[in-house]
Amino acid sequence: MTNEPTSPANPASDEPSVAEGTRVDPKLLEILVCPLTKANLEYDAARQELISRPAKLAYPIRDGIPIMLPEEARSIE
Amino acid sequence: MAEARYVQPDMTLMRKAYARWAPVYDLVYDGITAPARRDAVNAALACGRDILEVGVGTGLSLGDYPVNARVTGVDLSAHMLKRAVEKAKKNHWSHVKLLAVMDACRLGFADATFDAVVAQFLITLVPHPEAALDEMLRVLRPGGEIVLANHFGVPDGPVARVEEAVAPLASRLGWSSAFKARRIEDWAKARNDVEVLSLTSAFPLGFFKVLRLRKKG
Repeated sequence: MTNEPTSPANPASDEPSVAEGTRVDPKLLEILVCPLTKANLEYDAARQELISRPAKLAYPIRDGIPIMLPEEARSIE
Repeated sequence: MAEARYVQPDMTLMRKAYARWAPVYDLVYDGITAPARRDAVNAALACGRDILEVGVGTGLSLGDYPVNARVTGVDLSAHMLKRAVEKAKKNHWSHVKLLAVMDACRLGFADATFDAVVAQFLITLVPHPEAALDEMLRVLRPGGEIVLANHFGVPDGPVARVEEAVAPLASRLGWSSAFKARRIEDWAKARNDVEVLSLTSAFPLGFFKVLRLRKKG
């Protein structure tokens, strides 16, 4: 998807989007907060997880889709 | 008329049902919902570029947005979202910024993040519509709009009685006639930070309606 056609008239064309790559761009994840505590999240690129320290939960990212459900999250210390 | 009964669907069952539905959903829904979808998208775009679609499903409506929009989509079903991701890649939709699995009643976004929040064919299906609306309003900036496209049952009269009779069938498609727009209007009245802008009928024959709510401030 690196050679996808872009229009010069498209101001958003230089910004990352779902349409690119197999992994979600970390910049796009910055919009997400913990659905329980609304606290900011830490991105663990290696494990593909979004960590909420206050909720003690790690939300998985599967196939580039963050799964922001507490019942699907991993409990952490 | 007696208070309309509305059976609250179980979330696990809903997710299983959507997993089954995902392959055929587009074929069934695309044609009949297109005009209402376009009306909703146009109302949202008038508010700004940053748009959240709650219940984005297989991403049918994502193609309705222009390239300069920044659209985030959420849905309870990962199966549906996988199809939305495939569509975004196949069609090179650079305006689709993020697709995430979320519960409409527990959105993982900060307050006042979006210019508009769109929910199409969703609000009559969620177990707690008022809680979902509270969350949509929270993530909306002041002056922004919640735009709901849906089939809403008519308040009373003979048509309402026919709708009540076929409600079990219609509710399977997410077109519950027991759910009235009045329920959303009542929610808005009970809060002092949101107002109903308009409730308009969309083609065909007004079966689908677009309800717009504006966050004050």
